[in-house]
Formats: sequence, C-alpha cells, structure tokens
Amino acid sequence: MSTQVHPDISEQQVRAISEAADEPEWLTETRLEALAALDDLEMPEVIRTPGRTWTNLTDLDYETLVDPDNQAEDKEWVEAEGAEVLSIHEAIEADEDLVREHFGSVVDTQRNYLTALSTALFTTGTVIHVPEGTAAEDVKIRTTMNSRSLFNYTLVVAEESSEVTILERQSTGDDVDGHRYYSATVEVVTGDNASVQYGSLQNLSEETYNYQVKRGHAADDASVEFIDGNVGSRLSKSSVETRLLGEGSETRIVGAFFGHDEQHFDIASRVWHENEHTTADLVTRGVLDDEARSVYEGVQDVGREAWSTSSYQRENTLMLSDESEADASPKLIINNHDTEASHSATVGQVDAQDLFYMTSRGLDPETATNMLVEGFFVPVLEEVAVDELREDLEDLVAQRLRS
Amino acid sequence: MSSDQDHLKETDTEARFEFKKEENSAFETEKGLTEETVRLISEDKDEPEWMLERRLRALEQFQEMPMPTDWPGQPDLSEVDIDEIVPYIRPDIETRGGAESWEDLPEEIQDTFDKLGIPEAEKNALSGVGAQYESEIVYQNMQERWEDKGVIFCDMDKAVREHEEIVREYFMTKAVPPSDNKFAALHGAIWSGGSFVYVPEDTSVDMPVQAYFRMNSEGMGQFEHTLIVAEENSEVHYIEGCSAPKYSAFNLHSGGVEVFVKENAHVQYSTVQNWSKNTYNLNTKRAIAEQDATMEWVSGSMGSKATMLYPSTVLKGPGSTDNHITIAMAGEGQNIDTGAKVYHNAPDTKSTIESKSISKDGGRTNYRGLVHIADGAENASTSVECDALMFDNESTSDTMPYMEIQENKVDVAHEATVGKIGDEDVFYLQSRGLDDDDAKQMIVAGFIEPLTEELPIEYAVEMNRLIELEMEGSLG
Repeated sequence: MSTQVHPDISEQQVRAISEAADEPEWLTETRLEALAALDDLEMPEVIRTPGRTWTNLTDLDYETLVDPDNQAEDKEWVEAEGAEVLSIHEAIEADEDLVREHFGSVVDTQRNYLTALSTALFTTGTVIHVPEGTAAEDVKIRTTMNSRSLFNYTLVVAEESSEVTILERQSTGDDVDGHRYYSATVEVVTGDNASVQYGSLQNLSEETYNYQVKRGHAADDASVEFIDGNVGSRLSKSSVETRLLGEGSETRIVGAFFGHDEQHFDIASRVWHENEHTTADLVTRGVLDDEARSVYEGVQDVGREAWSTSSYQRENTLMLSDESEADASPKLIINNHDTEASHSATVGQVDAQDLFYMTSRGLDPETATNMLVEGFFVPVLEEVAVDELREDLEDLVAQRLRS
Repeated sequence: MSSDQDHLKETDTEARFEFKKEENSAFETEKGLTEETVRLISEDKDEPEWMLERRLRALEQFQEMPMPTDWPGQPDLSEVDIDEIVPYIRPDIETRGGAESWEDLPEEIQDTFDKLGIPEAEKNALSGVGAQYESEIVYQNMQERWEDKGVIFCDMDKAVREHEEIVREYFMTKAVPPSDNKFAALHGAIWSGGSFVYVPEDTSVDMPVQAYFRMNSEGMGQFEHTLIVAEENSEVHYIEGCSAPKYSAFNLHSGGVEVFVKENAHVQYSTVQNWSKNTYNLNTKRAIAEQDATMEWVSGSMGSKATMLYPSTVLKGPGSTDNHITIAMAGEGQNIDTGAKVYHNAPDTKSTIESKSISKDGGRTNYRGLVHIADGAENASTSVECDALMFDNESTSDTMPYMEIQENKVDVAHEATVGKIGDEDVFYLQSRGLDDDDAKQMIVAGFIEPLTEELPIEYAVEMNRLIELEMEGSLG
C-alpha cells in the first residue's frame, strides 16, 4: 500500500500517548509492535469484481486525516447495576490482569493496517466487566469526537452466566475544517452461558471517515448479539463478526443503515461456526437515497467440526434514488454437511402495491413513502434491547426522511 | 423408452469414456508455448494473415497477464504449467475440416465415437453433429434441409477460410477478447477446432446440433473455439459434450465460446462436461443478447479435476432475457468452481439463475456469480437461486454471489440454501422398498431435474447415468 501514514508517526509519539496515560509496559510494547508492523500490513480487504473495486480505501489521505497528538473527545458513561464500567485506564488500575488477559484476544491488534494504526494510537476506551451470575441492563457509552482524528477502544467481558445490554454511540462535536477520521475496535468476550447485546449507533459528521471492527467470542451456550446502526460519516467500513467457539452458542448480527448525499457504507457481517449445535442469524436492512452507495458482505462459515449448525442470513436494500448504488455479496462457506443454512438478499424500490394502497387511502405519496421506509426498519428495530438506541435510530431515520 | 435410449443406458457408460486409443497424429507441436508454436499452428492451418496477427497479440497478452490466484476458495492451478502441455495435435486423417461420413474416418477414431454413442444420437435426435478428436474436427455433418435454408454448421478452422468475413468480424473481438482473462488469452493464441454455427434470419433449427470433444493423448491441451451467430428471429439449440480418458499427467481444456443472439432470436447452449479427473477445465463463454433476444445456458459439470466456468450473458438490448441452469457435482479430488455472470445493460431485461450443486467424498463445489445492473437498466429483474446438497463431512460447498445494482427501478432477489441429504426422505423411500443407494440416487435425480428437463431425453438419460456412476460405491 502506498498510502502510508506512519512516516509522520514516530515511536516518540506513541510512547508519549502511552506515558501520558501511565500505561504498563506490556501495553506500550503492544502499541510499538503495532506501529512497527504498519510497514508490512495491508489495508483492510475490499471486494473486487472484474473491473470494479467496491470500496476504495487507498485514495484516502491518511496523513492529513490522522493527528495523533491532538485527540480530544467528550465521553459519558451511564453505568448499570451489576456491571463495572470503567475507562480503559481506570480498568487497568483496578484490575490489570483482566485487561491484559483479554486485550487483543478477540480482534488481532495487527489485523490490518488500519487496526494496527488504532492499536498504536488509541487514547480513549472503555472496559465493561460483568461478574459471574449478574445481569446489567442499559450500559451506555456516548463518545463525542472533538478532534480531527480519534481512536477508540472497547472491551466487554461477560463472565459465566452473566447478562448485559450495551449501547455505544459515536458522534462529532466541535467543528474541524476538512475531513476527519474515527476508528474503533470492539472486543466482546463471554463466559459459558453468558449473554451480551452490544449495540452501536454511529452518527458522525459527514466529513468523517470511519473504520470499525467489532468482534465477539461466544463460549458454550453463550449468546453474542450485535446491533450496528450507521447513519453518519462520509465513508464507513464496519465489520461485525462473531466466532461461535462454544457448543450451543449463538449469535445475532443486526445491521441498519440509511445513506444519503454521497455517503458510502461498506458493511460486513461475518460468523464462524466452530462447534456443535450453534446458531447464527444475520439480518441487515439498509436504505439509500441521493448518490449514496452501499456495499454489503455477509459470510456464514461452517467449520468441519460444526455438527448440527443452523445459520441464516437476510439482507434487504431499499433504493430511494436513481443515483444510488447497492452492491451485495452474501457468502456461504460450508464444510459440514449436518447444516441447515440459507441466505437471501434483495434490492429494490418501495413496493408499488403498498404505495398504491396507502395513497388510495388518502396519503400523499411522500408521506406514504416515508411511512413505508420507517416500516422497513421495524424488523431490525424490534431486535434492539436498549430503548435509547431504538428510539434514536427511529428519530434519525425520521429526520433524514424529512430533511 | 425407445431402443436407442436403451442402447445408451445399457452400454457401460464408464467403459465408454475410459478407453484409450493409441496416439496417432499427423502433426503435433512441441510441448510448451512460444511464438514459434503459434506460427506453426497457424501455418499448419494455412490461415489468413489477420488470424495469425490476432494469435500473436493474444500470446503477448497471455505472457503479460498473471495467473488468477487470489480468488477466495478458487481451485489450485499451480500444477498448470503451460510449458508442460502439447497445445496442438492434428489427428492423422485425410479430410481436413471433417469427414461427412463416419466410415471415412480411421478405425480407432470411428470406434471412439461409436463407443461414445455419437453416431447413434445423430440418427435420432440431432440436426447436425461435429466431432473433435484432439485439436481438430474429424467429422462434421448436418441434415441437408438445414443447409438448404442457409444454416451453416462447420468446423471453426474451415469457417476461417470459407466464411472469413463473418469470422473476422466476430472472432474474439466483441464477446470474449483475449484480454478478458489469462486463459482467454491463451485460447486466443493457440485455439484450434471447434464449431461455427450460423443461423439466418427467421430460421428455427428444430432439433439440436451437437459437437463432441474428445481428448485422447496424454498431456495435451484442447482449445476449441465455438462461434454462434443467430440472426434476427432465429432459433437454435447447441449441445456440447466432452470427455477424455484419465492419465497421470494433467490435461488442459481451455475452450472459448462466443454467442451472438440477434433481435428476437433464441439460443440455448447446453454442456454436458465429463472430462477425466486429471483435466483442468478453464473456459470462457459469453453471449451478447440484442433486443428481445433470449439466451439460455444449461451446464452440467461432472468431470475434471478443477473447473472454472462462469458462462456470461451481456443483456445489451432492451427486453432481452437470460436463463442459466447450472449443475455441478464434485467427488473425491475435484474442485468444481462454476457460476454465472449477467450484465443488465438495457431496460426491461430479465435474468434467472438456477444453480444446483452436489459435493461428496471430499469434493468441493463453489457457486461464484455476478449480476450487474447498470444505471439506466430500468425495470430490470433478476432472480438467483442456489441450492447445494452435501453428502458427507469431508466435502465443502461454497456460495459466493456478487450483486452490483446501479439502478433503482429494479427487482433483485438472491436466495441460497445448503443442506445434507434428508434422512427423512431417505427413510421414506426405504420404507417403500428402495435400498439406501437407490433412495439417495432418486433424491439426487429429483434434485437435478431442472437441468435434465431442459435437455433432449437422450441427454437427460445420459446425465442421470453419469450421476449414478459418480455416486456408485460412494454412498455409505
């Protein structure tokens, strides 16, 4: 890759970030290793077909986007009874072993160029720890980015038989001239029989380039659910992934996006079935208006040892404008025949019959269309446990329709 | 069932494909690929200068292009070393361009096609037959009534000489340029044999025409080119069959197929592929459909060690239609990577893709497909359906569709399912007195019915027989 940013990022800068937070040696080292690895790492994979690249990441000017010394944000935590919610640096102070054990255990700190950049440069983060047997509802993390670039980190550790629902939202505050860059890594670790729903609502300014990896490991009989809502940003590349490592584990990955103007969303949902009796359900619904573009990749990978697997995937895209474009690639990779797997994908307009019915009842076409679009998101919204996420997503959709 | 079908059924199909004939050629090139080889082939065929130029340009492109290696899950092509194959073998026969009577052929070639049941099929079900042995067509015949109507069905080498204008216009210029992919470039450099089909306006050829491709020699490559031009309001069904005996060294088949479906014309292209399991089968097949035209691809891939085949249709004219039916079956050591590509470049175009795959004994099937709807292709609709059946836990079944939608007034649907053969279905059939093997075979026959329905009965029977053969002894 030629678009490298690291000539501008020195070891001193990375050390400075680490020292400012008084980090332990192992974390400083992890950051420096990630910095050193940048030379050899590739940009995240994007889908290519003959003559076309679905998302162009190489033209981004990371040198002007990334400003490691001046990261600034407002962060608000809403704690919930039963869960310990701490900033990453508080968490290291309170229980260094816990953070050290799980940091980088789910998302490879050097997964690709952009993840390694995040590992080297993150300045803010959250650790949510749910002890064995406890249940916590509505943990909230609200991050407002005030600088040109911000690198964020989140770790969720749900011990055996615990339950937690989480909302993490990202938005932009103070104006900055020109483009911005937001990057986030989210790791979810579960104990046996634990259950996590992690919801994300991304509403960054439309000058912001956004790269996120969210990934969970599900232990025996554990459940990992992701809700990934994308409304903001200029360009987003978001991968949401679960490895079903434990027997009887399950996952649900729910995606919703609404693009307008020149927004570009590259969304991936991926699941690996790696044990017996696992279940996955991937549901993504997206709407595109104006010249917005979406790229969707869904992967259901059933391993050789994943006996008795159930795996389902649905993706639906609604196109409101003739200038929009939707690319989709739902993939099945099946290595065990004791599998029930299916996927489906559709792209189209608002249903003409529905529209006709509603206008015949006296609604004007615009109102009718808006109602149908809102209705289109209902199956996704129904999966959301945290009220704030559901309500805000609903509001954002309504605002965008009426803007 | 007629006696001919009995004949086909009763012949030992395996023996029919597996026999080897002594290698007996009039001219063969050295192994490998150089400008010298290309010039030799062209010279041996006494080709016009423009064709030699096209070959040499393709050779240049071949040498510049990298091998495809980075497709997710693609077959391993590292064994395919072009320098190890013999690209051109002209069988020793008197008549260049194909004899018109089987009796005129040397006995071993006659015997080959007899065993494959080609002359028998010709009598009963076909309008015309071409038979290729190694690099050249050895037999070509069409019923007189079609010749009288101006239908041309001849071998491609002959077409270059006798129908030069048409060939020069269409040959690897519009549908499959050598720059399309590395193997299309290879094909452009050293193609030999194949069929040329020309159907004049308002003519419907009511029985299929067939070409059969046979590789006999070890370590050879076969690179036949098929060009079909169906003029306005015409109709034709072309069937190709292929087989080879198995050798320890690899064989390479890299065919090129170009189909031009003019206004309101209808072309069906059916393939029953049964290459031996040491063959790499890397083809490029593409059709261009004009206004209100219909293109249908029907493909059954049973043979080969590795197949990469994605028949494509460019829906260029408004109201044109594409249908794909593809069946892949992969057993031990086989990697069958097939699919379909459709470009919707005009309004009111329609495509349906139906893919069925069966994997067993460690075999790997992959559906890889692309549907592209261009901006402006209003009211385009596409429906893709992929179903995969897996027999055991050593096998792999992948489904990798790609959809690119640049127009909003469209109807796009893709669906895929993967599952094992149903225990309940097997149990039901067993309770009706079938044994386990028969029950599974019956389920598979039902599974692939959408394909066999599209073939003349003789081929449907043949297809079922091939699948039975593939399944024999492999069922637990």
